[in-house]
Amino acid sequence: MKKFKKISIGMILLRAVMLLVALTMLIPILNLLAKSISNPANVPSMKGYQIWPSGFDLIHYQLIFRNQVVWTALKNSLFVTIVGVIFNILFTTSAAYALTRPNLVGKRAIMVFLIIMMIFEPGIIQEYFVMKDIHLLDNLWSMVFYRTVSVYNLILLMRFFSETPEALLEAAKIDGAGHVRILFEIFLPINKAPILTVGMFYAVYRWNEFFHSSIFLSSRGNTVLQVFLRQFVVEGDTTALSALGTIDLSSISITSLRAATIIITMVPILLLYPLILKYYTGDVLSGGVKE
Amino acid sequence: MKKSLRKQIIRDRVLYLMLLPTFLYFLIFHVWPIFEMRLAFYDYRIIGDNIFVGWKHFKTLFSTPAFYTIIKNTLIISFMKIVLFFPFPVMFALALNELRSGVFRKGVQIISYLPHFLSWVVIAGIWYEFLSPSSGLVMDIVSAFGGERTNLLTNKNSILWVLFASSTWRSMGWDSIVYLSAILGIETSLYEAARMDGASRLQIIWYLILPALAGSMVTVLILNVGFVMSAGYDQILNFSNDAVLSRVDILDTYVYRIGLLQGQYSFATAANLFKGAIGTIMILLTHFTSKKLTGHGAW
Repeated sequence: MKKFKKISIGMILLRAVMLLVALTMLIPILNLLAKSISNPANVPSMKGYQIWPSGFDLIHYQLIFRNQVVWTALKNSLFVTIVGVIFNILFTTSAAYALTRPNLVGKRAIMVFLIIMMIFEPGIIQEYFVMKDIHLLDNLWSMVFYRTVSVYNLILLMRFFSETPEALLEAAKIDGAGHVRILFEIFLPINKAPILTVGMFYAVYRWNEFFHSSIFLSSRGNTVLQVFLRQFVVEGDTTALSALGTIDLSSISITSLRAATIIITMVPILLLYPLILKYYTGDVLSGGVKE
Repeated sequence: MKKSLRKQIIRDRVLYLMLLPTFLYFLIFHVWPIFEMRLAFYDYRIIGDNIFVGWKHFKTLFSTPAFYTIIKNTLIISFMKIVLFFPFPVMFALALNELRSGVFRKGVQIISYLPHFLSWVVIAGIWYEFLSPSSGLVMDIVSAFGGERTNLLTNKNSILWVLFASSTWRSMGWDSIVYLSAILGIETSLYEAARMDGASRLQIIWYLILPALAGSMVTVLILNVGFVMSAGYDQILNFSNDAVLSRVDILDTYVYRIGLLQGQYSFATAANLFKGAIGTIMILLTHFTSKKLTGHGAW
């Protein structure tokens, strides 16, 4: 009886600690959300734990979306992410397919080459110079081509591809299907989940990239959302606000404006998040010991 | 024999064509810049050919006192992110496992994996507000306990802990997945046997689950040590400021600053090449060690 009670106290403590951990992750984000949609006059007096808005006002979002720079950055980010991921998937799946075909001459040498590529990263200065030499500086395509293939993702995909039953391929080969047709008609549908997973990893990486974007893309017309956010929030550069035109700065809250920009930048990730959970963490999420 | 090899290659020509885009990508955007890193052995010239100077820039590098501070910073930050951080995902996975299934557990998991997918720019934005001396939650709590409101981001003594806390905040949940799936792999019959023997929950964790996690723990720890030379520039770029630069300046940020911002291309490339060489050795070393010890390598 005493033992039973001890365990349940431990359980309560455990739940309390886990709740605290989860709240530490959630509250700062909800606090920002609350500040972004609050009445600007109330924001300075809002507490750090406050996850509900104080008064309701969408003025900061209206201001941000009235800013031409934000629209340009948003458009550029979407372009780099969407076109980039298409390239990522095309390159990675076709390479993974070729490398998992049996008896490919030179496979070992190719794998060694790829692993060297994975271990030794080129320096940022030389990456900049090469982009300059091929005239892609300040061109969105530089960021489309940057990281077109991640060896890590390629190897991940190869693991799934090599598990595809050979019997399926034999039938297709007898029908006279070529490699390209086999890849598109058999491999892609069967491996939908791993390809989607890899695609989401690429998409998250591309959406979140800020360092190389800030170096390769110098003009304001080519800026991406993360770089804009960094200038505004991290470096505290409010010159971007000048594009807002004639507004009374005292009638808005810079804190809320920052918060709203952060929230907008997070939205695509939040939209992808359920898919990531479903495809990548599916088994650990639904897992647990069956009792 | 030779003829059949050629026949095979001709037969598989479509496969080589499928590999071509990937190969070209690495050639242009990877091999070429790596080859250009030979600049470390030259003096950069805007007009005309670069001048070969041998180890000059490396000698300058090793006689620059700032370089040692930067190595020290890199190692300290890496140590915090690899060794100090290490127990957190393990404990988190163990705790999650104790929660069993249910809405609460699922909720905690969904929340804790999310920060991993946010960019460091966004996380810095969130943490600036979280740590804000005037309106942040942390200082609200500190002042509620009678402490003084301070800015932890501009304090030399606290900035490293801010880096540690924010990177733990970001990775603890996600990094626990590898342990959680290892726990899921434990045979149910082992639990039943342990319970029949009257083992308590703590005993089950200590004698059954932790040994089952040992392999993953060793792999993760060893492989992370391979990345000791990169202490996470994307985080540090967003958390550093002039007040704390002397504590958080690491190899990558140093190369970026003196190279791209100050234009000392050759010297910065030498520093970068040094980092790359040591980093490569570390990754290879840790990969083969881990492979030998646990059967799992970095690839």
